[in-house]
Amino acid sequence: MYKKVDKDDMQSEEYSIIKQCMDGNADIYSVLVERYKGMVYNVAYRMLGETESANDMAQESFISAYIALKDFKKNSKFSTWLCSIAINKCRDHLRSKKDTVSIDEIAEVSVSKIATPEDAACNRQISHDIQTALNELPEEYREAVVLKHVEGLDYNEMENVLGVSSNTLKIRTHRGREMLKKLLRERGISHG
Amino acid sequence: MDKNMELIHKLLDGEVSEEEKKEILDRIDSDPVLKMELDALSMAVHIVEKSERLSVPPSFTSKVMGKLPVRKSSYREKVWDFFFKDRVLRWNMVTAAATVCLVIIVFTGVFQFQKKHSLISHTNISEGSTVTVKFNIYVPDAKEVAIAGDFNKWKVDGKNMMKKQDNGIWTIEIPLKPGAYNYMFVMDGKVWLSDPNAESYQDDGFGYKNSVLKVTKL
Repeated sequence: MYKKVDKDDMQSEEYSIIKQCMDGNADIYSVLVERYKGMVYNVAYRMLGETESANDMAQESFISAYIALKDFKKNSKFSTWLCSIAINKCRDHLRSKKDTVSIDEIAEVSVSKIATPEDAACNRQISHDIQTALNELPEEYREAVVLKHVEGLDYNEMENVLGVSSNTLKIRTHRGREMLKKLLRERGISHG
Repeated sequence: MDKNMELIHKLLDGEVSEEEKKEILDRIDSDPVLKMELDALSMAVHIVEKSERLSVPPSFTSKVMGKLPVRKSSYREKVWDFFFKDRVLRWNMVTAAATVCLVIIVFTGVFQFQKKHSLISHTNISEGSTVTVKFNIYVPDAKEVAIAGDFNKWKVDGKNMMKKQDNGIWTIEIPLKPGAYNYMFVMDGKVWLSDPNAESYQDDGFGYKNSVLKVTKL
């Protein structure tokens, strides 16, 4: 119950920040950027598989959200709304990339990155392996797995972010998990 | 996906009841293949959930803040949006019917207005070698209106008095031979009026403009 009050307080505080931004006080937007940059950056990284694009898309997500603040609905959560903007940015980026680079080329880049000496540290290696496996998931499954297991959203929150029914999202998550299990097994990755 | 796998995924989603949890755990205990599946899936989920979270580049916030566009003040934004924002007009049968009615009313009004102010001054009706011309003028407040012209030697008498219609239009029919005629209307015996719908006008030398009518054979 106490936690719920905290969440409500945060939501009303965020709404107040948004209102101030709309009244011309841009500086206060940095509070929201600081609060959610980790979430947006990591979602973008897990969706895109590389830090440079993740950085660009995360920045663009915040800027697009700022421009569209007047469309933000008071009864929704800013984080959920922002996350849906980030996911859409990533989708657009992946589509534009598909037009210029073949899937094989992307896979090659990922593999060669894993093999570089800089990535020798074990945890980093696993992180890259997971990313490579995530990259191989179909976009829809990847979105579902990232939101569910990287960001820890529940299906209702995922429904708000992706605009897809929670039943469909459950199926996508289940299938994504199955594929992930198979891919990690193929790479001989085991926990611990 | 079979029933067992469905239950395993429900378990991983944390959406099983105590009863279902007991059921799946019992099945797993008696089925090594199922146990292996659950372990492999749990491991995949665990690795993803515990994977290293990247730290955001230190300049991230300042870069975002530096790229924010200048926002118009709320009031200016509202005015701007009112005039320039794309909008979708939604309609239903009632608004469509109301719009049609409004258009009909406006068109009827314009038509009536034009009808009153651009009276057909004369209608030619063939009658042997003469042509009967019907003169009209809209002066609803007049007590009497007469017509004076070349055809009646500019006399304002009983023969040339016009008849008032219910709609405020005064009319008179006069048989005329083909030719050009100057004329004017005389309201209440003293006010001389040009025909606002005459074909042409001619100065009368006294500061007025005579209306000009040209009668031709039909």
